[in-house]
Amino acid sequence: MNQSTDQVSPLAAIGAIEQSFATAGYICNRSIATAIFLAQKLEKPLLIEGPPGVGKTELAKATAALTGKPLIRLQCYEGLDEAKALYEWKYGKQLLYTQVLKEKLGDLLAGAQGLKESIARLHEFDDTFFNEEFLEPRPLLKALWAPEGAVLLIDEIDKSDDEFEAFLLELLSDFQISIPELGTIKAKTIPIVFLTSNNTREIGDALKRRCLHLFIPFPDPALEQRIIRARVPDAEDRLRAQLVAFVQGLRGLDLKKKPAVSETIDWARALVLLHAREIEPELVRQTLNVLLKFQDDIDTAEAELHALVARARKAG
Amino acid sequence: MTAVLGDFIRTLRAADIRISTAEAIDAGAVLGLVGYDDRAVLHDALSQVLAKTEGEKSAFTDVFDRFFSFTPFAGENPDDQPDAGDAVPGAGGLPGGGTGSGQGQPAGDLADMLLGGDQAGLQMALAEAARAVQLNQIRIFTQRGQFTRRIMEAMGLAGLDERIDNDPAVADRLIEARARLQSQVYDYVERQLELVAANAGRQLREDMLSRLRLSNIDRRDMAIMRGLVRRMARKLIALHSRRARRARRGQLDVRRTIRANIEFDGHLFHTVWKKHRVDRPKVMAICDVSGSVAAVSRFLLMFLHSLQEVLPQVRSFAFSGELGEITDLLVGDDIEAALGEALDRYGSRSTDYGRAFADFAEHAMADVDHRTTVLILGDARSNYGDPRADILKQIHDRARRVLFLNPEPRGLWGSGDSEMKRLAPHCDRALTCASLRDLERVVAELLRTAV
Ligand SMILES: Nc1ncnc2c1ncn2[C@@H]1O[C@H](COP(=O)(O)OP(=O)(O)OP(=O)(O)O)[C@@H](O)[C@H]1O
Ligand SMILES: [Mg+2]
Repeated sequence: MNQSTDQVSPLAAIGAIEQSFATAGYICNRSIATAIFLAQKLEKPLLIEGPPGVGKTELAKATAALTGKPLIRLQCYEGLDEAKALYEWKYGKQLLYTQVLKEKLGDLLAGAQGLKESIARLHEFDDTFFNEEFLEPRPLLKALWAPEGAVLLIDEIDKSDDEFEAFLLELLSDFQISIPELGTIKAKTIPIVFLTSNNTREIGDALKRRCLHLFIPFPDPALEQRIIRARVPDAEDRLRAQLVAFVQGLRGLDLKKKPAVSETIDWARALVLLHAREIEPELVRQTLNVLLKFQDDIDTAEAELHALVARARKAG
Repeated sequence: MTAVLGDFIRTLRAADIRISTAEAIDAGAVLGLVGYDDRAVLHDALSQVLAKTEGEKSAFTDVFDRFFSFTPFAGENPDDQPDAGDAVPGAGGLPGGGTGSGQGQPAGDLADMLLGGDQAGLQMALAEAARAVQLNQIRIFTQRGQFTRRIMEAMGLAGLDERIDNDPAVADRLIEARARLQSQVYDYVERQLELVAANAGRQLREDMLSRLRLSNIDRRDMAIMRGLVRRMARKLIALHSRRARRARRGQLDVRRTIRANIEFDGHLFHTVWKKHRVDRPKVMAICDVSGSVAAVSRFLLMFLHSLQEVLPQVRSFAFSGELGEITDLLVGDDIEAALGEALDRYGSRSTDYGRAFADFAEHAMADVDHRTTVLILGDARSNYGDPRADILKQIHDRARRVLFLNPEPRGLWGSGDSEMKRLAPHCDRALTCASLRDLERVVAELLRTAV
């Protein structure tokens, strides 16, 4: 009984997440809010897949803003290794210390009986070299060390290679790593982890099994309108409805790269700057390059332009 | 509860979704977190822990929809609200009403859940009952009835019946709800059976499919279904043409032969054979193409139009709101596409039988004659509008016969907005017809009497 009174119901919590994201400028649906709720409750990493520009990265940022935790980002690329992702020893600093130590060496070894004892005495200084002081933390270690926890964004995991993925797997399963010289470092507070992928390669099953999996598709018209309303408040209702309908229509064409939410936002801004109140074929033609990045795509779209515009104008 | 989840996961695995033990445990945790209250949230949450590719996600959604079918418990449809409102004071007086059992009933009482429209509660009760009677052991279609009954019993049928006997204030509503529940449990059992059959051999699978309620058939099985319809149609055609040949041979009409030969002094120059008028029946099919009825209509039309050789004059009409003729649409080879188009044109509007009959009268009444069989296919649910039984009566008066095929079980006829009780009197026959087998039987009968 007590528990249920001092705890918000899960559905209310999910609704609240949706709400506070909206206040923070990130417009999401139930499914996304549910994923965030589960990631926090189950303390599991969230793997987000979906086409480029649907707000995968933005979701991590919004979560950081919302929870007040620092956002720590690890951008993946081919050849990314532990030294760049986890930690490095500060060789320069170690060198400096060696210098200092050398000068102290005489004092230190004074009175030592033979080699054995000298080594034993020196050995006590190992700890001085390999201690956290000489450690340069990279994003993953930073996330483990963050005293109040953090939002860790491992962006575009599909760009990294298999070995790195295997290493991550270990880290994400118990949120601790072992540094040979130091022993095990355990997360002070388990971070909220997001992994994003654009699916340039298939993510391994083992990693997927450790994660919650959220697929973010292109938004439906209603959601995209809400995003535009939040991001480009100056666009009037009719214009907003029409421009969203047009972009949605474009996505139905066979394009090399379909316009993403970010392009819709840019286009909406451009149209507002041009004082547009409605979309018209000529205006659309002139601004099409904001939405489409390939000439082929622009050609394809121009062929359908009138029909698309006419249909979109009915939306508003 | 984890038992239900276990069954769900087994079903997912059968649908080729890979789920590790760790993920199954996660799913348990998720269930504990979000519960069954909100279907969409439950779907999203479980999908996030259990289905991890785009393909798996869509397969997941299919299985989820069939496994957790909350919507079928439309025990109290919104249009019944005024009734429900009336019943509230009665229900309020219940505990004092002295049935004894009315007071302090457990929260999971079946009657209360039905009256209160407690979808989540019913769903859980159903899932638990299914578990208790080991529905996952169902293997053959003849077990459907038996499992349906056992599940209803496990859900508390006895208590429900008792309440119906002792509580006149709600008896009528409960009787209707019970019929509806039975149909829904039956659907649930069928879906379970279908899930089991998904891995069975093709022969078994076809057999299963032809007996399943058409509205329970999965999109994936459409190809098999089309094949089945074609095969059944060919079988009927063969059967019918044999019968027609035998009929054509005829017999000597002695009396008329003698009469015709009187002038020849009894020598029989002209032989007169008994004539079998080969009656070419005209069939006019009027199909409700709204919602779940559409599945059945679709197959009926497919059937009729595969029978071109035997039934040269089929005219088809489709409606949900307004009615239109779709005969011309259905002449090509790609009947499936044509039906899709017909559904686009006439489906998904608010169902209005009155309007449909009026439209039919206007378009086609003139062509209805004593050789015409009018086949009506639909659930007779007309959103409380006047179904215009008077027009159906006129059709009946002119036609050779009127057959009404209703996919709903008889127990539901006349409940809620079903106008079946008002329409059936103007039909020569009104039948429940939900599976491909049923359809085959009806069409065979149509042909038999057509000869
Ligand atoms: N739901 C949303 N609410 C508000 N803004 C959004 C939303 N979705 C996308 N955006 C906007 O679109 C831009 C692109 O989003 P983001 O960079 O997060 O996409 P992405 O999915 O990470 O793309 P990529 O796969 O290319 O990394 C963001 O800067 C943000 O302004
Ligand atoms: Mg990104």
